[in-house]
Amino acid sequence: MSKLKTLLLATAASAVALTGAFAQERGRDGEVKIIYWQAPSILNPYLSGGTKDIESASMVVEPLARFNQDGELVPYLVDSIPTLENGGITADNKTVTWKITDGIKWSDGTPFTSADVAFTAEYCRHPEGGCAQSAKFDGIDKIETPDPLTVIIKYSEPKYVPYSAFVGGQSPIIQKAQFQECLGAKAPECTDANFGPIGTGPFVVTSFKPNDVITMKANENYREAGKPAFATVTFKGGGSAEASGRAVMETGEFDYGWNLQLAPSVIQEMAKGGKGTPISAFGTLIERIEMNMTDPSPSLPEGERATAKHPHPILSDEKVRRALSMAIDRPLLVEIGYGQAGRPACNLVNAPIAYKSDNTGCLVQDIEGAKKLLDEAGWAPGGDGIREKDGKKLKLSYQTSTNAVRQDFQAIIKQNWKDIGVDTELRNLSGSVFFGGDPASPDTFQKFYADVEMYANNFDGTDPEQYLTQYTCDKAPRPETGWQGENINRYCSAEYDKLAVELGRTGDPAKRQALAKKMNDMLTKDSMTIVPLVDRGRVSAHANSLGGVVLNTWDSELWNVADWHRKK
Amino acid sequence: MLTYTIRRLLLAIPTLLFISFVIFAVIKLSPSDPTANLPLTIPPEVREKIRESLGFNEPFIVQFFLWLKQLVVTEPKVWMNNAFGTEFEIGQRMISYQTRSPVLDLIVQRIPQTLWVVGTSYVVGVLIAVPIGIISAYKQYSVFDQIGTFIAMIGFSVPTFFTGVLMILFFSVNLGWFPSIYDTTHVVEDWSSFLFQVKQMIMPTMVLALFNAAQISRYMRSSMLDNLTQDYVRTARAKGLTEKTVVLVHVLRNSMIPVVTVIALNLPSVFGGALITEQVFQVNGLGQLLILAIQGGDVPTVQTVTVIFAVLIVLFNLIADVLYGVLDPRIRYD
Amino acid sequence: MAEPTASGETLVNVSDLKMHFPIYKGLFRRKVGDVKAVDGLSFDIRRGETLGLVGESGCGKSTTGRAVLRLYDPTHGTVSFEGTDVAHLSLEELRKIRPRMQMIFQDPQACLNPRMTVGAIIAEPLIEHESMSKEEREDRVVDLLNAVGLNPAYINRYPHEFSGGQRQRIGIARALALDPDFIVCDEPIAALDVSIQAQVVNLLEDLQKERGLTYLFISHDLSMVRHIADRVAVMYLGKIMELAPRETLFSDPQHPYTKALLSAVPVADPKIEATRERTILKGDVPSPSNPPAGCVFCTRCPIAEKKCFTVAPEWRELNPDQFVACHLA
Repeated sequence: MSKLKTLLLATAASAVALTGAFAQERGRDGEVKIIYWQAPSILNPYLSGGTKDIESASMVVEPLARFNQDGELVPYLVDSIPTLENGGITADNKTVTWKITDGIKWSDGTPFTSADVAFTAEYCRHPEGGCAQSAKFDGIDKIETPDPLTVIIKYSEPKYVPYSAFVGGQSPIIQKAQFQECLGAKAPECTDANFGPIGTGPFVVTSFKPNDVITMKANENYREAGKPAFATVTFKGGGSAEASGRAVMETGEFDYGWNLQLAPSVIQEMAKGGKGTPISAFGTLIERIEMNMTDPSPSLPEGERATAKHPHPILSDEKVRRALSMAIDRPLLVEIGYGQAGRPACNLVNAPIAYKSDNTGCLVQDIEGAKKLLDEAGWAPGGDGIREKDGKKLKLSYQTSTNAVRQDFQAIIKQNWKDIGVDTELRNLSGSVFFGGDPASPDTFQKFYADVEMYANNFDGTDPEQYLTQYTCDKAPRPETGWQGENINRYCSAEYDKLAVELGRTGDPAKRQALAKKMNDMLTKDSMTIVPLVDRGRVSAHANSLGGVVLNTWDSELWNVADWHRKK
Repeated sequence: MLTYTIRRLLLAIPTLLFISFVIFAVIKLSPSDPTANLPLTIPPEVREKIRESLGFNEPFIVQFFLWLKQLVVTEPKVWMNNAFGTEFEIGQRMISYQTRSPVLDLIVQRIPQTLWVVGTSYVVGVLIAVPIGIISAYKQYSVFDQIGTFIAMIGFSVPTFFTGVLMILFFSVNLGWFPSIYDTTHVVEDWSSFLFQVKQMIMPTMVLALFNAAQISRYMRSSMLDNLTQDYVRTARAKGLTEKTVVLVHVLRNSMIPVVTVIALNLPSVFGGALITEQVFQVNGLGQLLILAIQGGDVPTVQTVTVIFAVLIVLFNLIADVLYGVLDPRIRYD
Repeated sequence: MAEPTASGETLVNVSDLKMHFPIYKGLFRRKVGDVKAVDGLSFDIRRGETLGLVGESGCGKSTTGRAVLRLYDPTHGTVSFEGTDVAHLSLEELRKIRPRMQMIFQDPQACLNPRMTVGAIIAEPLIEHESMSKEEREDRVVDLLNAVGLNPAYINRYPHEFSGGQRQRIGIARALALDPDFIVCDEPIAALDVSIQAQVVNLLEDLQKERGLTYLFISHDLSMVRHIADRVAVMYLGKIMELAPRETLFSDPQHPYTKALLSAVPVADPKIEATRERTILKGDVPSPSNPPAGCVFCTRCPIAEKKCFTVAPEWRELNPDQFVACHLA
């Protein structure tokens, strides 16, 4: 009898010991299933640029540092973030030194060195490679690697915020040994490498079916012991946001569903399924209306239409633009279109908080004020309720891309504007045409052959400099630039251009923030050239049993996938 | 028959060349941009570089002939090298804009899913449709026929994205019987994995089978009706044959002639996959490949997949014609 | 001209045979009425004779033929074949009696299965009903082809490879395969060229003599019926108007409809033809779904009286062997 007891006790003890050991073991939680309704096409983010590709690759390849959920830089493959204070950045702001953490290995077991970092820049900066992230490396003069753990980046001009190259999901380090034969025009020939890059991240690709599914397993050489908790990953792509939401929250087939762009009511209904939880976070994405400062009239000759040569006959008047902004019911737009994933916005740069201007004037709809402004501007109510001036009707064309929420917005805003006597003609275009840069197409957002147009834009990382400098006079799309350019509304102000130059020369954070706020205000509340509508957050969902998820809009959503685990 | 087939095949070459040219022209003339779906954070200069590296800005004719050369010269060489270990010099393979990988590899990768699911649904559809068509016609206006007509009407007119989602809501969300998302990585190696494969195929297969069956059962029914009133059927009855022999041997065999051709003519649509159904259940087959390629402005992929469909359509038209000759002794090609 | 070979023994007795086809209409396909294709026929066919059945198109001749062979299920009445009621036999019993009653169809193309060879068509009933070896069967098929005057070398050809007359011969060979007693000839020559018609009719007559066949010969061609039939029945709108031996009917018709029909037959002598008096019937044949009350012929009858419009005439034997359905005959 006592023998049996001893045996039982021994078994129990060893079972306890085993579970204890499991808690520390890599791959202890089996499989995690992730679904993205846009299917990854390639796992080399330098050859794609698509969010789905960057984020799926972020489980495998890593940058030197990432942004966390609060937009703060976190060292990943380095000991610390270089700053002026710690001497990582020289006083002239031209040299940045990154110190790689000792002992990091690629998933194939070879050491991760500064040569790989330098090679990554070489790969992306190759003129024939068509690298989608080459802008991240702008301004770099040369990269020195005095020893295997030191990377010294030398800029030709002072770089005050040098956190774009090798930082964030868009700019991970790829292995030199794997990609050195794939430079320039040869890049697409390296299919195996592009579909299965060797990385330092928590997972290793086992199979990749482009535009369909990726399977991964835990990286045995991952630098942190006991991570990742999952042994394998199935990363399914395709379908619709609705199907993803259903699979996570209703049927429980998947553990994580990305970017559920669905009506708020639909998400709520799905959450009742009880298998998963929607989560949301905000970043820098702003849905906005841009006012065309040039005349898009078809009566103008091609080449002059929608160029600075002909100011817009109606929208050149600041009062009209302001009235249009005042008439919009932003809280209603949020309620209908985004729910918990949106909030009304008046700023172009609404985050990070340090750069956010104190601008809340647009949050409350003001129909009477708008009417008064139009009266002042000389637009008198006409017989049919539409205002007129000099025999001309106040009628605007309003275009955007085809998307259910955007068409709802168009309808609401059309009604808002009708209430102040403005007639609106709505138009929507397929996203691939509208956002496609085909200079021969009259329907691109750059050509802007309409009076106002609506779309969303954001910036990578936490510094808005590049984002704000898009609105300088020389960046306006026009025939001479092949209709390329980011200053979509053709805003042109000498003062703004001066501020943009100054921002590029300012290193002091407080001054930079003040400048950015000033520039933001010039575009929004001062001139009403850009009329922000909604600060668009991200809604994703995770299974209730999945722990460790921290939604991050400043970097890849899967930035901390190494910490994900199964809740017991 | 052989000379006829060869003549038809030869005639198909100029037809297909013309079709490919037209498809290419249509794709290139429509406004599309491989960088359209990239985040706006990527600046225009970079986009231009990307387009250049893809050869998107080359003159139209150059692009077309490069594509043609890659399809009929380069890719067969690659195939020969893989299959027979030959060592032909291979130039630049046909590269998809989206994945930067060879288009033909993508297509080959997609075929199993499509054949498994869409092909099975076609077979199931035919297996359902033929008996329903026979019974409906034999018992015209009976309750069975009325129900059959009703179901066929539903299968025909209710879109698969509706029936598909309905099935998902019922069988996946409410009952939890079948997965709502198809697992293309699943490998059948034993009994239980086979069962899983069956389970995940049931819904997409049935949705498509319903649609196919609706169509074919109507053809079957009307063809049977045409034949049931023929004198030779009376002859067969007068011969004192059993009803079974009369219907299944005499009537059915004659009624199958037009139905078999319809089945053959519709077969290319199996390869086209059911675009929508693949999307609903995430059976990422050829149809989904095509849709994503269209959305992504991936000209080589769209072009190649469409031209392969065109080839299949031409081929199955020929097969249908030849089958007609085989099945119906009244028709001879000489 | 055939000698009267009838033995007098009744082979087929048809009694009050009705064949109504329902009409469905409307959203729910409710039955709204009947097409009374055959509406109460009674007649005998004697062993060895040829009974001619004549009438206009649509009067129900072919339906009668098919109903007699139970190719349709009759709505009412009996068809007794040697005392067995064919109209009410179970399908299995019926199948067993089928070999004894056959049919030759009007359209020799349509009645042959296009996907079967001539040999297969003729042999099929043999497989079904006789236990023969393959060789025996082939011999039988060759015999039959010879009997109908076809080259046995054609045994593996398909029906579409033959001319109309040849196809009709195939149809006849097929009908003869099981050595039947009774054959319904449903306008067997109507679709053939005139030059071929005589050949086929002569073939039918020869076969009748050789094999002692009984024919129900359906035709709209009075002169052909006069040539081949022993007795003739005249049909109008689903009913028999008059039934009499051939000579009697053609020389002394009693029913006004028979008279009108006969007056329309041209005579070969131009002198008589010039003086021939024709009775032209006025109006159209009424719809068989809504036949007139009383005598079905009353709407077009040149001598109709009041009674004819209300009371259906009785089927009576006016003279020995001559039956008429007319109040005024």
